[in-house]
Amino acid sequence: MAQTFLHQAGEPIAQLKPTRKRRWGGVVPYLFIFPWIFGFLVFTLGPLLFSLIISFFDWPIVGEVRFIGFGNYAEMFTDDPLFWTSLGVTLKFAALFVPLNIIVALGLAILLNQKTRGSAIFRTAFYIPSVISGVALAMIWSWVYSGDYGILNYFLSLIGIQGPDWLNDKQWSLVAMVVASLWGQGSMMLIFLAGLKGIPKDLYESASIDGAGKIRQFFSVTIPMITPTILFNLITSIIAAFQQLTLALLLTGGGPMKATYFYAMYMYENAFKYFKMGYSAANAWFMFLIVLSLTFIVFKSSEAWVFYEGEMKKNPQEKLKGQGRRRSL
Amino acid sequence: MKKKISLIVLATTLMATMVTACGGNSESSSSTGAAGSGETKTLRFATWDTGDALKIEQDIAKKFEAAHPGTKVQVEAYADGFDQKLAAGFGATNPPDVMYMWDFPTYHQSLEPLDSYSSNDKELNIEDFYPGLFNYGKIDGKLYGIPAGFTTRVVYYNKKLFDEGKVPYPKDGWTWKQFQDIAAKLSDKSKKQYGFGVRAENDTYDLQSFVWSNGSSFISDDGKTIEGFMNSKETAESIQMLGDMVKNGSAVLTGGKGQQSGDDIFKAGKIAMWESGIWPLESFKTAGIDVGTVEIPAFPGKPVKGVLAESALSIAKDSKQKDLAWEFVKFYVSNDSIKMRVADLPVRVSVVNELKKDQDPLYKPYYTMLERSSNTPAFLLNPKWNEVNRQLSAAVEAVMHGENAQEVLNQAVKDSERYLK
Repeated sequence: MAQTFLHQAGEPIAQLKPTRKRRWGGVVPYLFIFPWIFGFLVFTLGPLLFSLIISFFDWPIVGEVRFIGFGNYAEMFTDDPLFWTSLGVTLKFAALFVPLNIIVALGLAILLNQKTRGSAIFRTAFYIPSVISGVALAMIWSWVYSGDYGILNYFLSLIGIQGPDWLNDKQWSLVAMVVASLWGQGSMMLIFLAGLKGIPKDLYESASIDGAGKIRQFFSVTIPMITPTILFNLITSIIAAFQQLTLALLLTGGGPMKATYFYAMYMYENAFKYFKMGYSAANAWFMFLIVLSLTFIVFKSSEAWVFYEGEMKKNPQEKLKGQGRRRSL
Repeated sequence: MKKKISLIVLATTLMATMVTACGGNSESSSSTGAAGSGETKTLRFATWDTGDALKIEQDIAKKFEAAHPGTKVQVEAYADGFDQKLAAGFGATNPPDVMYMWDFPTYHQSLEPLDSYSSNDKELNIEDFYPGLFNYGKIDGKLYGIPAGFTTRVVYYNKKLFDEGKVPYPKDGWTWKQFQDIAAKLSDKSKKQYGFGVRAENDTYDLQSFVWSNGSSFISDDGKTIEGFMNSKETAESIQMLGDMVKNGSAVLTGGKGQQSGDDIFKAGKIAMWESGIWPLESFKTAGIDVGTVEIPAFPGKPVKGVLAESALSIAKDSKQKDLAWEFVKFYVSNDSIKMRVADLPVRVSVVNELKKDQDPLYKPYYTMLERSSNTPAFLLNPKWNEVNRQLSAAVEAVMHGENAQEVLNQAVKDSERYLK
């Protein structure tokens, strides 16, 4: 009976049939990626959307849940001095950390790129800190920075400087945090190293034929050639800077006097110390917006300063690169 | 309070060995007995203690299992994550049946009122408890927790350092002025020795003792006003005093990040006086310090006030075996169990009398301070106190780092007002 009904429906069904068959034949690839899709939906997208929803609620863990619209967001901007404090601390940290991070990682990568004996050993040595978990790293640095017993102040005392109690000094604790954060940057260094290795040798040859010295080569060949790598590292650095939590939590606990009270920590405390889940979710979404817009700005600006293979910009220096590329072809 | 919890842990780590040795032996037979009797009921009990204090609790739990065949007590040690895990348990309506509790204003909605249990059960012998202890577990006239242990706070002093400095030992009834003079006299920067240790991160709960002693409080008695209380001249004065001592070198900041804790510095004989609860006492003795205790100093002409730190036991509203849970609570606060708890002070008058604790000069100040602990702490007066305290703690920390107490407290009041509307 169903068949007669289908026949009555006529042509469209006849047309659909083969398509449907083909679609079923296509299920296998989806099965292969199903575990990932499932994980993404259940453990990433689901919680993400859920956090967006609860950001519109007053949502304590114990007690009554109440819809308050944009109340959380309004409170954040108008009524909570800690929000501004923590945001300020994070911006300061990012402003110090991001450029330093890129310079240090690039510097190490350039050193490793030299053809010297034992570069593999150095590569391993420089990478080791990234293998250490954040907690262990924090423990190490808390000893290094210790005011009375720290090795840093011991070295300083050798050259006659009485070092501060780094982690308990509101002037120095943020700097201490930046330095400790820089230490675990092995992966960024490796990405730079890969970028450096990818620069064709003949570019340098032609540059030196044209009379460019080492420094000129660095700024006119090396830097432009690795701008895509710089772009990538810049964005990941910015994101990492805004998410910095482990070190703050373990090294200073946000102190002294909120000098290292990062935005991520503020968010964490709202959620897991004061149990204001809705408010914390609103904090998180605001951070997401900040990171998103910063990333967008960097991407937009990259059109002006990032060079992909053989690309020419109006900048006259780039002729060098363009010529090199052609010759190598 | 968190600090307190970790202090309990630290202190008891060193002191509970004897008790665990006593408690451990008799229990091994009990578990086999329970297994034989068919269906086993599991009772979940959450605690913030770790180390040897946890061991004491496990031993009490084992005794309970022995006395109640067919019952298994699952001791869940949440340690520093106590609040997070407990809140998560309540949120998921799967909380432990019985738990340690101090923060009743936050959790009371999820706890079982215990009035009917305690008044109908003669075995509990509620008259035997120090009556002041029940105030902390009461919200809106309902009782949510049975006290299991407590401590008051005293000033510890290192007799050797006093002898060396030719300073007479302090006596009950001394004043803050005398306290500061002694601290100045016993400080010697060249030896890295200080008269007193000031915590870098104070629990404002503990500071209430000083503030009350100066005739003020953080919040009005009706819990509605902080202006003129949290930033009153007296409150500022009692907190400024600590900051000043750090500034003038008669006290050292302790327990900041990467800094030694005050307990450790006292044990090392580098501070002459230290203010705390009973937790570190045993470890001071073990460290070979000739330690004395004395009550908190007074402000001239004003009565000294103390603050209690209490561990109580509560039953979850969502528990499916409340009668069994009550049995466990009752067992936990029985004379025998309380005697096993050496990490804090006995909650029962009869146990204190039996052990003659209040006669011992080393313990006597704790009981003097108990008599002086009649004020209601701020967190019981306003459900939003946690939020206010966030600002207050920041202000107090700033004072320890050299800021002016009156100014930062004024700011803290301004930033906190919105929570009290």
